[in-house]
Amino acid sequence: MRDSGQPATEAQTIRLEAGRAVPAPKAFNFWSRLRSNPLALISLGMFVGIVVLAVFGPAVYPMSATRPDYASINAFPSADHFLGTDNLGRDTLARLLQGMRVSLIVAVYVETLNIFLGALLGLLAGFYGGLLDVLVTRLADMLFAFPGLLLAILVAAAFGPSVTERFGGIGRLLLVAGSLSLVSWPLMARLVRSRVLVLREQEFVTASRSLGGNRPWIMIQHLLPNILGMVLVASTLDIASVVINEAVLSLLGLGIQPPDPSIGKMITEAMPFLEANGWQVFFPSAALMAIVLTVSFLGDGLRDVADPSAST
Amino acid sequence: MLKLIAKRLVSLPFVVISITFITFIVGYMAPGDPILAMLGGRTDPAAYERLKHSYGLDQPWQDQYLDYLSGLLRGDLGLSFRFQGRPVADIIASGISVSTALGLAALAGSLVIGIPVGLWAGVHPNSKRDRVGMALMLMLYSIPSFVLIGLLRWFNYQFYLRGLPSLPVAGWGRPEHWIMPVIVLASASMGYIARLTRVSMLEVQRQDYIRTAHAKGLYNRRVLWTHALRNAALPILTVIGPSIAFVVTGAFVVENLFSIPGIGFLSVQAIQQRDYPVIQSTTVILALSVLLMNLITDMLYMAVDPRVRVEG
Amino acid sequence: MKTKRTLRLILLSVVLLVLSAALTPVSAQDATLRWSLEGVNDLVSLDPAKASDSQGFTAIGLLYGGLVRLDGDLHVIPDVAESWTTSEDGLTYIFTLREGAAFSDGSPITAADVVWSLTHALDPNTGGWTGPFYLSNIAGASAVADGSASELSGAVAVDERTVQLTINQPSAYFLSQLTFGSAKIISKTQAEADSTGWELAPLTSGAYQVQEWNRGQNIVLAPNTYYWQAPSVSITLSFNPDSETAYQLYRTGELDIVGSQQNGIPPVHVAEASALPDFQSTSLFAVRYVGFNNTIPPFNDVNVRRAFALAVDKATLANDVLQGTVVASDRILPLGIPASELPVEGLSYDPEAARAALAEAGVTPESIGPVTLTYGVEGDNERIVTVLQSFWQENLGITVTLEPLELTTFSARLNETFENPEAGLQAYYSIWGADYPDPQNFISQQLRTGVGNNNGHYSNADFDALVDQADVLVGDVETRLGLYNQAEQIAVSEVGWLPLYNPRLNILVNPNVQGIVFNGQGLIIPDFSALAIGS
Repeated sequence: MRDSGQPATEAQTIRLEAGRAVPAPKAFNFWSRLRSNPLALISLGMFVGIVVLAVFGPAVYPMSATRPDYASINAFPSADHFLGTDNLGRDTLARLLQGMRVSLIVAVYVETLNIFLGALLGLLAGFYGGLLDVLVTRLADMLFAFPGLLLAILVAAAFGPSVTERFGGIGRLLLVAGSLSLVSWPLMARLVRSRVLVLREQEFVTASRSLGGNRPWIMIQHLLPNILGMVLVASTLDIASVVINEAVLSLLGLGIQPPDPSIGKMITEAMPFLEANGWQVFFPSAALMAIVLTVSFLGDGLRDVADPSAST
Repeated sequence: MLKLIAKRLVSLPFVVISITFITFIVGYMAPGDPILAMLGGRTDPAAYERLKHSYGLDQPWQDQYLDYLSGLLRGDLGLSFRFQGRPVADIIASGISVSTALGLAALAGSLVIGIPVGLWAGVHPNSKRDRVGMALMLMLYSIPSFVLIGLLRWFNYQFYLRGLPSLPVAGWGRPEHWIMPVIVLASASMGYIARLTRVSMLEVQRQDYIRTAHAKGLYNRRVLWTHALRNAALPILTVIGPSIAFVVTGAFVVENLFSIPGIGFLSVQAIQQRDYPVIQSTTVILALSVLLMNLITDMLYMAVDPRVRVEG
Repeated sequence: MKTKRTLRLILLSVVLLVLSAALTPVSAQDATLRWSLEGVNDLVSLDPAKASDSQGFTAIGLLYGGLVRLDGDLHVIPDVAESWTTSEDGLTYIFTLREGAAFSDGSPITAADVVWSLTHALDPNTGGWTGPFYLSNIAGASAVADGSASELSGAVAVDERTVQLTINQPSAYFLSQLTFGSAKIISKTQAEADSTGWELAPLTSGAYQVQEWNRGQNIVLAPNTYYWQAPSVSITLSFNPDSETAYQLYRTGELDIVGSQQNGIPPVHVAEASALPDFQSTSLFAVRYVGFNNTIPPFNDVNVRRAFALAVDKATLANDVLQGTVVASDRILPLGIPASELPVEGLSYDPEAARAALAEAGVTPESIGPVTLTYGVEGDNERIVTVLQSFWQENLGITVTLEPLELTTFSARLNETFENPEAGLQAYYSIWGADYPDPQNFISQQLRTGVGNNNGHYSNADFDALVDQADVLVGDVETRLGLYNQAEQIAVSEVGWLPLYNPRLNILVNPNVQGIVFNGQGLIIPDFSALAIGS
């Protein structure tokens, strides 16, 4: 059928349209399908668990995340410190709970920016083509090659002090991370655009167009559901790099400000002590992996649940 | 296709000019001073003024930029600040070939492993093999590269201690120097590629012609490998673009941690030393390579699926 | 199942590739000393006048000879000059070059080369900073440095083998300053013939010559057979920006010397490394300190500065946090610098006294408000400022905000603090390392009113008077050091700096290497011909 090259017949079109018609699933439908998808259910449970830990953990767990104890530096896990202590004798569990909160905030924030800028521009560029496509792809090429580090340094220096004063350390962190997503959205845009380039030539789109469907409607009705999977996958994968990038930024003094932790920061702080106390690298790394795996499988699950035709 | 190439060539000068301009402006405004970096933290106002003058940094910014641009037109990339008086072209020339070779090796490695794993998982979605395979890939992906390097070095040291063959843990020049960086660089992008391949495969499978083929009673595996794989080729091609991007970004960390004299290494060192002429040139080179890679992937799309129209 | 087989095949070939490569033997060790330069990815230049960092100075020291150099005990000894005389008034030095002294191609080293080299180091077109800084005492130096003269009036080639230097002020450390990179001897003939290309493949006047320079990786040095103390061992200097990486290379047998630059081997490995016969350790002629901006509140009040100093538990910092890899210090001069043997009464840890000092200043933690401590992100800095933060919080109840800055931004901010103190940093974590082992380098050049390194604008008239007197005193060493000692006591009591500790330099040297001495200035080869690698 791919090779037919001929306009689809009306009958085909109708069939295709029917096959592709995926209106938003009704709520009860969604939950019943979710219940029958164990992986999605488990991932959802774990994800909720992680969020609950990050949100309420620091308030419930009594140890301080920032108070040092120079008598027990780099201690192994014990009854006093369930996950041991870091290189200044601070309780690792307390830091991890606090750090997860910071890392999740940053990840959600950067991904929102990324999806908003990248997916939206990629969709528009791929679909409308022409001058818009040229502008968006050139802009994307340019920003992709741009030294994000330099931009982050500039932004942190120019706006950092006033933002820190008003919104605290996390405000500055979001500012710097935001400046990084300015150079990272092109990747998402390029992925989406190339997918749209293929999709818009497919029968259900050409057919819908020949039937006089207006363009925004085609985009929302046909293209959006089809790129959703890719956007979800790309952004869940991105979360790991956002968390790590935050740590790399802090190596330059542009990430979270000490003594506050983030997952990436905990890993970079513990790395030099890998051989002295590997636990301190292991715990935050495991947390990072857990977040990435959970979010990825959750993304898979949600996609399957939202689109019945996806599960085979 | 010639038209595509011609169009891209026309837009080339604009991209170069805008990239150099933005880099220049950001560099000009960014805090940190190349002259101070040169003076190694000592304060000697007379020496400071002398150096500033000899590098033309006391000129107004427009003049500095125009000087740079006119040099660029003559094929002169200017002189490095840090390596006093050394031509930038001379500094980055060897870096380009090192980075290209390393990047291609890592790209080949990650494609050769990532695509089959992704296909394999996508053919049997939600099976145990799919889950385990993807979980492994995701774990490789979510380990920060500096942690992976630390682990590899530790194992390597244990080998060395026991008189077993071991690898050089950093450096460049001998064939053994390639192994660790390629493993680290490939393992991150491998996960990315496997996952994107898997989702492309899933999305192709739920297309109607596959279902029609199934309905026609065609044998499952044949449908997959003949129909689906051919159609998945295009989305998989789109994976190559981002994975090149991925390898380029990864090279910044990996080249630095392994002391490999490539472009990523030079850029980071130049940013830290505020060596603007070098930063400008590495940025332009990165941008050009991104443009080139995009052009190649777009041409491949057109070759694989003639219906695809790519604006250029 | 075709994919499965392909996959296996691929995996198998990857494994084979890794193994085969791993099995290739590491190149056999020959008479080459493999020496790691950490913290840089390349040398800036082989022009001794342009070298600007300790890594560059290491290479310059191997490649070039000067009139004089330092021996293993840091005394000034003859090098290319075999002897010298000093005039009665201490203003004129006459050096006699060695008979038959020659560059690496065999061409003779003449007095004209020496004069040309000194002039070149001062020439603004050279663009180096060390010449104008270290040679400023030579008569006519400032005129050359500001471009108003092209001849250095204070340097005269009397004949082929005789150089006469005239200085502006008698100085006890003039000869020490001549051991520096800016006074090394370059071939005038070569440099004039090829004014830009010579520094890539220079004719050298020292123990070594350049055999191969792999940009971004290493530089291979071969013995210069014309040097008066010609070595027999070659040296490869390899560049390792990251000291952790360098340490990993050393312990897998890829290097012979690691850590000889400012940062040493990573502190976390010191415990493990100190058990090896390879381990060598010395206290550095450097001091880590907190500088305060003396022009703005709250640190314009000496009692607030005292409170901050008294609240810091340096012993815990040095022994627990840094695991004894550094030496806690209450004074400005590092151990081993002349005058450091004279006692100074420091402000040692005393939380009670700290709170009392705060009360005496008439301020409370609330009235001071949060104080910002700024630091450059590098090595252990972040751990240490976090510890300081906890001390001040705990003992004074003062909230300290830490401001991490990427290194070049940090030095730019320090410069702004010097230029425009009102808009500058409040407090900063910094380090000073000796350029040459003389108290003047630590006392007068750091804390005298208005000097270029006095970023915190500490100012005390008595202090200034003492150091001005000491700086020009020649001959009477004891009185001179006594004056510096009095000045140091003033600066310590008034907290011109809050000294924290003297870093130790911990390095690893292959025990088979003979003929290298390790001291506070780094590694020194007292007799190049005695350098050897045994087995």
